[in-house]
Amino acid sequence: MKLVKQTKDGWQYQLNPAEADCLRSLLNQFPITASATAKISRTDSDPQIVDREKLLNESLADHREKLKTRARSLIGAGKFKERDKNWRLCINSEERECLFQILNDIRVGSWRALGEPENLEPQTPSPTEREKVFHNIMNLAGYFEHRLLDHEEAENSS
Amino acid sequence: MSSVLEPFTIPKPAIETDTSSDDKLAPTYYVICWNDPVNLMVYVTHVFMKIFGWERQKAEKHMWEVHEKGKSVLVREGAEKAEFYVHQLQNYKLHATMEPAE
Repeated sequence: MKLVKQTKDGWQYQLNPAEADCLRSLLNQFPITASATAKISRTDSDPQIVDREKLLNESLADHREKLKTRARSLIGAGKFKERDKNWRLCINSEERECLFQILNDIRVGSWRALGEPENLEPQTPSPTEREKVFHNIMNLAGYFEHRLLDHEEAENSS
Repeated sequence: MSSVLEPFTIPKPAIETDTSSDDKLAPTYYVICWNDPVNLMVYVTHVFMKIFGWERQKAEKHMWEVHEKGKSVLVREGAEKAEFYVHQLQNYKLHATMEPAE
């Protein structure tokens, strides 16, 4: 996957068939993991914190539902177009941000499903099938995040 | 009829409630991003630039602080705005909280 064109209206990425299959599969299955309860503070003892935390979790759940809709629309609204045996993904800035959030939700969710390990490599010589699946999904989501941001790193280093 | 003067009392000056001082005393919060091993450094930088409108250099400075020191104070704001930023950061699945500023 690589950026082939960037205009004020949007972004065009080229994906090979395997990448296109993987990305569409991730989008189609989103959300892959159950949502975790989010904390809004580590130290605040204000009684209002309970309400704030409830509001945060409601807001995150609502946002996730919207991301699910966006994930489906990224697959089904002609965003992926076949071209010369490869695929083009054409998205605007807002869709790109949604894609980041979807991919990172998948990545962080998979990491949580693995027990939030400090080391991201499999810890046992023979990981279970479940562990293998979540490791693969976590790495795949990270791969696409990197590819989406590659040009920003390149611009910065040039 | 005697002309006894009524005691004259000086009216007490009205004590105005200075509402602006309430604002000064309103609690403020630090918006903190905490380190974790899963969020990619380039992604964290991107999110900081997007949410706060920072230049890359400033976003990277905070990203490195998160990575090396375990956390970074991103902004200090009133409750409402701090809460808004925490919601935004958590939408991107960054580990962010708001902590009372002393």
